[in-house]
Amino acid sequence: MLFKKAMTTMVAGTVIAAMLLTGCTSKPTATNGNADAEVKYPVKALEFIAPAGAGGGWDTTIRTVAKTLKDTKLVSVPMPVTNKPGGGGGIALAYLEEKKGSDDIITVYSPPLLLINLNGSTPLGYKNTTPLARLIADYACFVVAKDSPYKTINDVMDAIKKDPKSVKVGGTSAAGSMDHLQFLKIAKAAGVADVKEVDYISFQDGSGPAQVLGGHVDLLSTGIADAKALMESGDLRALAITADKRIGEGMIAEIPTCIEQGIDATFINWRGLFGTADMPEYAVKYWQETLKKMSETEEWKAACKTNGWDNIYLGGEDFVKFLEQENENNKVLLEEIGMLKK
Amino acid sequence: MEVILHNLLLGFQTAFEPINLFWVTLGGILGTIIGMLPGLGPATGVAVLLPMTYAMGPTGALITMCGVYYGAMFGGSRSSILINTPGDGAAIAATFDGYPMAMNGRAEAALAISAIASFIGGMISVIFMIFLATPVARFALKFGPAEYFLLMLMAIAMTSSMSKGNVIKGFLSMFLGLAVAMVGLDPQSGVNRFTFGSLELQSGIDFLTVIIAIYALGEVFKCFKDIREGKKKMQTKFGKIWITKEDWKRTWKPILRSTPLGFIIGALPGAGGTMASLMAYNNEKQLSKNPEEFGKGEIIGLAAPEAANNASSVGALIPMLSLGIPGSGTTAVMMGALLMLGLQPGPMLFQNHPDIAWGLIASMVVGNIILAIINIPMAGALVRVLAIPPKILYPIILGLAFIGTYAISNSVIDFYIMIVFGVVGFFMEKAKIPSAPFILAIIVGNMMEISFRQALLISDGSWGIFVGSPIAAILLALTVASVVLPFIKGHKFFNRKKATIAK
Repeated sequence: MLFKKAMTTMVAGTVIAAMLLTGCTSKPTATNGNADAEVKYPVKALEFIAPAGAGGGWDTTIRTVAKTLKDTKLVSVPMPVTNKPGGGGGIALAYLEEKKGSDDIITVYSPPLLLINLNGSTPLGYKNTTPLARLIADYACFVVAKDSPYKTINDVMDAIKKDPKSVKVGGTSAAGSMDHLQFLKIAKAAGVADVKEVDYISFQDGSGPAQVLGGHVDLLSTGIADAKALMESGDLRALAITADKRIGEGMIAEIPTCIEQGIDATFINWRGLFGTADMPEYAVKYWQETLKKMSETEEWKAACKTNGWDNIYLGGEDFVKFLEQENENNKVLLEEIGMLKK
Repeated sequence: MEVILHNLLLGFQTAFEPINLFWVTLGGILGTIIGMLPGLGPATGVAVLLPMTYAMGPTGALITMCGVYYGAMFGGSRSSILINTPGDGAAIAATFDGYPMAMNGRAEAALAISAIASFIGGMISVIFMIFLATPVARFALKFGPAEYFLLMLMAIAMTSSMSKGNVIKGFLSMFLGLAVAMVGLDPQSGVNRFTFGSLELQSGIDFLTVIIAIYALGEVFKCFKDIREGKKKMQTKFGKIWITKEDWKRTWKPILRSTPLGFIIGALPGAGGTMASLMAYNNEKQLSKNPEEFGKGEIIGLAAPEAANNASSVGALIPMLSLGIPGSGTTAVMMGALLMLGLQPGPMLFQNHPDIAWGLIASMVVGNIILAIINIPMAGALVRVLAIPPKILYPIILGLAFIGTYAISNSVIDFYIMIVFGVVGFFMEKAKIPSAPFILAIIVGNMMEISFRQALLISDGSWGIFVGSPIAAILLALTVASVVLPFIKGHKFFNRKKATIAK
């Protein structure tokens, strides 16, 4: 009997532990039943969402934001991060749509927010969110194995011009998404006539750097952070970055830009924070102010430096205009490679 | 060599600091509990702990995360053995013979051998890692898309042809699994497949949902019948958690064989513990003189996958530590955590932060020992699960199954998917169609397809790439052999039996 009792207690404990772990505890709901003009916000725990698995760019960004807001005491309520991966961010977008109008959900996006809508993966897009602020920029870089015959980005482009099938380009994003487009944008500017013909191989499990190291693909189109470790050890060589000027310090600062090499094009991987569509006005105002303050703190600047990000805060209306402009640019590019959903 | 030993000594100094000993023990216990719960694997465990680790500093954080990681590997098979419900993919193989052992009244020996095999597999792999990390990492680089495709093809072909019962049913199960793996966004072109306009189905069907459905729900469904017919017996007397000399004599060789296999498969980014443990199981079944005992409570069939599973979890750290490339879902989360702490995993980690890198390796040794020590008494408590009357136990399993499913992607649609697959699993069991090929096919199906298409893109459509390298050719030959051999063998068996009857 005693055993039975002990066992029941143990199992009950386990169930409770599981509930805590999975966040089954009651979700905070917005308290806008308050009749006072002054809404006290935020009072309950917020829900931060990374629209991808743990460890990637979106995840790192939102966790860094949560950590900075906490460390600088700008926000005092808990900000647990939930990962909602899938559909290149589309699953989280569907969740935002479902929770339309709530004031406690904050998520992070970057160019794929526009791309997954334009290429038809999801009918939802940036119009189904409330853009709060653009925070940072990451840049693309093109890397090859250390014993690769290609020494500059122009060597690669010349080879492609001769035979578009001769260079196999790898990347982490899906075909028609960021890593693919950033390379084609540069290739087009370099004078490659038919960018559609270039083979792009997507390694969405993150094994891209291993594939280029092992010689299975010729070039990897990636973000600086993803290849940094192997560049520092000399196993991978960066041919170009897509910023308008050299960035970072040390080894990163030695990577030439495309512009320096005579290819007049850039690609910015911006990342910003978003709320749900129809987010209440007091929450929008609160976040725009808070994020602006955060972007000016020393803690945030230091975090940007360690991650190799550019601090490019852009708030409110300007951010929306920026998104509209970006959307048009991407539409043209996708049209050219035949991946625009009409 | 001397440098390695010197660094290792430094590492042990870090690992033996009381606070780090505390972290690794705490992580191990938490990990064991997380690993036992269906749906909550090591990746979730590490992710949940992330916010806690910021306060600990890099060494403590890494050590705690590793504790959780191994703990989950130890814990995953506990529920496989006791309630036929694997905690995650890597523990599926432990249900094959572990659960029958428990049903035969040998739960104590099953829990003990699983802890012993895990311990030995883990320890030897850490030693491999200390001395062979770089060559193994370089070897793994030789695996391009073509080699990955063939490796996975070999794994599912072997599992299908080796599954209990009939080979044709094994392959039927595999093809069903591959069909389920098709659901979702086409990974290369982004086209919707079998999603019927549902956004939730775009990300595909998570194999963990299917595992929980087939095993946990399947077990509950099965018990409806057994309880009514009064077949289901409770175990009330329990022995010591240990194995007999005879058990040890039979299992030490399989454990030693399965460890390097698991280690190498673990070191290949993306391959993972499920493949390692299933391949070790198949391997031992093929080598065994009494393959028909497998699946009925053969202790070798539990020891081998358990050793391989833990060996692969150590191997999976190699690509992360030596190349900065995550080898599994869990190591991806750990890598994210390292980056947040300002450490860059990769070839320079050992140079720039030898204290952390070697502290980690030393703490693996310490963690393994501590886990083995805490697991034996823990198993003593856990085995009493068998004393819970089915009428209480099964509702609890049902509840855990739903919680676990929700934990995977916090989505309600997974409940429906789980119920559907629970029913599918029930009928598969009725029709004696093995479920392992089905699940393995769901796990690797997507990756297999991706690798196949990547390979053909690289080769401009030429099939020659699948025999283009020595590794590819060997893998292809093994695949063909694993499909053809059981037929030939079965044929001989058939003949011999007939002959004896004729006499």
